[in-house]
Amino acid sequence: MKHLHLLCTLLFGVAVLLFFGLAYPHHLHYQEEYQLFLFDSTYVWEIVRLPGGVADLLGRFCTQFFLFAWVGALIIALLLSAVQLLTLRLASSWTSQTAEPSGEWFYGLSFVPSFLLWLFLLDENALLGGVWGVLLTQFAIWGCLQIPKGWKRYIAIFFAIVILYWMALGGSHYYRIPTTFPTMLYAAWLSAVIIPLLMLLVMRSKKRENAQQKHYSLTSHLIPLTSYILMSLIMGSLVWKNANFKAEKVMQYDFMACHQQWNRILETVNAEKPNNQIGVTVQNLALAMHGMLADHLFDYNQNGIAGLLPDVKEDATSPMPTAEAFYQLGMVYVAQRTVFEAQEAILDFQKSGRCYKRLAQTNLINGNYEVARKYLMALQKTLFYRDWANKTLTLLGNEEAIAKHPEYGRLRKSVYDNNFFFSDHVTPEMLEDLFFSNTDNRLAFEYLKAYYMLTGDREGYAKLLLHTSNKQ
Amino acid sequence: MKKTLSFLLLSLLLLSSACTETVSDAKQETVQPRIYPDYVGVTIPVNIAPLCFGMADETAQLVDAVITDCHGHNLHSQGEESVDFDLEDWHTLLGQNRGDSLSVTVSAKYDDGWHTYSPFSIYVSPDSIDYGICYRLIAPGYEVWSKMGIYERDLSSFDERALIENTQFEGCVNCHSFNRGNPADMSLHIRGPHGATLLRQNDSPLIAYDTKTDQTLGLCVYPYWHPTGRYIAYSTNTTRQLFHSADRNRIEVFDEASDLQVYDVEKNELLLSPLVKQDSIYETFPVFSADGCSIYFCAARALPEGNHDLDSIRYNLCRIDFDPATGNFGDCIETIIDAEAQHKSVSFPRPSYDGRFLCYTLSDYGQFSIWHHEADLYLLDLATGESRPMTGANSDDTESFHNWSTSSHWLVFSSRRDDGLFTRPYFCHVDGKGVVSKAFMLPQRNPRRFYRDRFLSFNVPEFIIRPTRFNGQKASRIINDEYRKNMGVRLNTSEGDFGSSQ
Repeated sequence: MKHLHLLCTLLFGVAVLLFFGLAYPHHLHYQEEYQLFLFDSTYVWEIVRLPGGVADLLGRFCTQFFLFAWVGALIIALLLSAVQLLTLRLASSWTSQTAEPSGEWFYGLSFVPSFLLWLFLLDENALLGGVWGVLLTQFAIWGCLQIPKGWKRYIAIFFAIVILYWMALGGSHYYRIPTTFPTMLYAAWLSAVIIPLLMLLVMRSKKRENAQQKHYSLTSHLIPLTSYILMSLIMGSLVWKNANFKAEKVMQYDFMACHQQWNRILETVNAEKPNNQIGVTVQNLALAMHGMLADHLFDYNQNGIAGLLPDVKEDATSPMPTAEAFYQLGMVYVAQRTVFEAQEAILDFQKSGRCYKRLAQTNLINGNYEVARKYLMALQKTLFYRDWANKTLTLLGNEEAIAKHPEYGRLRKSVYDNNFFFSDHVTPEMLEDLFFSNTDNRLAFEYLKAYYMLTGDREGYAKLLLHTSNKQ
Repeated sequence: MKKTLSFLLLSLLLLSSACTETVSDAKQETVQPRIYPDYVGVTIPVNIAPLCFGMADETAQLVDAVITDCHGHNLHSQGEESVDFDLEDWHTLLGQNRGDSLSVTVSAKYDDGWHTYSPFSIYVSPDSIDYGICYRLIAPGYEVWSKMGIYERDLSSFDERALIENTQFEGCVNCHSFNRGNPADMSLHIRGPHGATLLRQNDSPLIAYDTKTDQTLGLCVYPYWHPTGRYIAYSTNTTRQLFHSADRNRIEVFDEASDLQVYDVEKNELLLSPLVKQDSIYETFPVFSADGCSIYFCAARALPEGNHDLDSIRYNLCRIDFDPATGNFGDCIETIIDAEAQHKSVSFPRPSYDGRFLCYTLSDYGQFSIWHHEADLYLLDLATGESRPMTGANSDDTESFHNWSTSSHWLVFSSRRDDGLFTRPYFCHVDGKGVVSKAFMLPQRNPRRFYRDRFLSFNVPEFIIRPTRFNGQKASRIINDEYRKNMGVRLNTSEGDFGSSQ
């Protein structure tokens, strides 16, 4: 029987791993991009001093590993499996009869909290701290149950409630939108406590019935297995139905743009033409990076000029691909502003490793070395951006090294020479100024030509062609 | 018991002394040390928090400082990143040396051993500073804001406390203002879906106002209390932002229209005058004179509609009479500083409370000098009309918003000199003759770590004479409540000409 349980838990864990690793990896990247875990005492203290801080901190700590989607998937699989095992364990502890509840129809119920947490994690605003909150609660209950009945247990329960309030229960940072109540999380939390109780009640009544006719047979394996399969089918289909694969696709485009995977972007758009704003923006950027934008513009889905450099909105995610295009074009100030604003718009006020990195780069290119240093020194306190930060710090103030750098050197040559004022909306004049002040800026040429083509500006188009033919 | 306690204390003492390394075989340097923050030769108030510092170059493994006075007292501290003087000992030493100088000998340990630098002085002014400052902490951004709030800091210690943060409601907070540093009279703006102006008069409960009326441009902005506490001068501005494509200054905040108005707290009326409500003029940053009988403000000729030659907008410093008894404005406007003629622009006028000086910011153009790297502080002698740069306070980078202490001898101002982006509060002493001392940065226990880790600007630093006793929970309930008190309007019909001079 014990092996069967382990096998069921293992199967569940593998399903979670495969789901997040194969079907939902960019949701994990998204989570990692919108937080910045620092190995810094002040940072840690600012989190743990608040109610629910320990769960929050553990969640943030684990989320930094989401940079590698399979590691993230494994972490989630382990956490959700642990929740299931503890649910079962709690029921056993309450009945004081090890593994007894597992031989019943309601064995499948022990997977409910984990499935509910899985459903919770489908939402891009769900934070892993919530899962830790549930797990810590279960640990605390289990710990109390290990103490023999009597006054010692009551004292332990009292202290456990107080400590648990500080560690998990009092927390509010389990969902990125502070004003939204994460119903699914609290349903999982409640079920993690209620289901073992329910199992206990059913067990007690069963125990009386079966007192005289206790026997073990093949059905003692079949019944829990069937309940597990039933539960998996019901909850699994709910997970699949509620998964936001559209958002996953958008996040994939954003991820590819962030990591400058221009070839992969083209492979992806060639396989399936994007039909969302971010997808089209990223597609056009990848085409431009390959020098194919103007010539192949209409071979791909377009969204008018909004597909080139869309107006930046006041949210944390949609501006990022546009900011990447600004950056690659050499509109470094605009990129800097866009990234800064995007980071400020993160709903739970966290900072972003991705944004810090880009802000360090734009400040370095603009020669604001002290500001760049500030961002880089923060990144030095991270696990996965540290090496990059150390390397980049050596560039600060080193004009020669920056000029020779393949990216920063190119962008320094591409930035605006003339100062002018602009608002939130990118105008053709901005692209014209960018290109005509440095006609080697091939990307600006591609975007400008595409701009004329999309707006039907024949005069501008002819002027641009004349200029390039004169140059040749 | 006594013996045990003595033993424990002795052990603790020995342990703490064991952590301190003796400065030995030090190489004597003939130059003064380069420390961060730069406290070399500064003048400080007798009640300021310890000036902890580290070496500027960051490669030092240990920094050691000994402060001595002419009476033979001394204070010692040693640390890896920063020295950290004992708070009580520091205040005792400063109290013993009011009006005198302290000598600071700094040693730093590098790979090649200890180096001892030529001592520098810190002058302890007999003029004490107010209890604390109040400021907004906000990321130096553009249009979107993350977590931010209004905070107060005790200047004689390192204690900082949040008055209110935007986690308590949806929106942002700005323009906190007190009557000569007295938080009994307080004004605070809330922007966003729960927008309001919170007013507290004589420590009475907060009231949330809707300051927009159908006879004024918009909401009340930039408050300044009348010395009697009866009036608050505001501007009302239609503000926009544009961005630079390739300039050291990144952003330009400008008005498309702006007027002045005075709120009569007793009568719940906004007092208007056509003289300070002209369509062809942008009027902003009103402040009452020390005697409360006039209003200083900035005024510029308005740009024609659709014209965005922002670098041609230049504000002069102007003045209009104000009668506190009746709430009437005077009938003519004086131009006190014709900055336009110098191709410069005045912002943030702040008269000292003793009526001797007026401090203002001078930049190349516009009114939002906080984003102008060339912006510097200037001091106008109100007795002679002479104006000059506050060299001791200024740096190569932005010096902008500022406020006087109630004694009129200390000035707090925001400066971007640290890294060019994040504003930090600095203080300087101004004596009766207008001599300005070298500015010093707001002390922190470990200043390098503190300022490096804080990705926020100190915005609108204001002195406070005591803790604000502001109940953030109660305030957030008022903000989240729908009730807003409306303001009445009274138009002063006197007329006159803009631009007439003394």
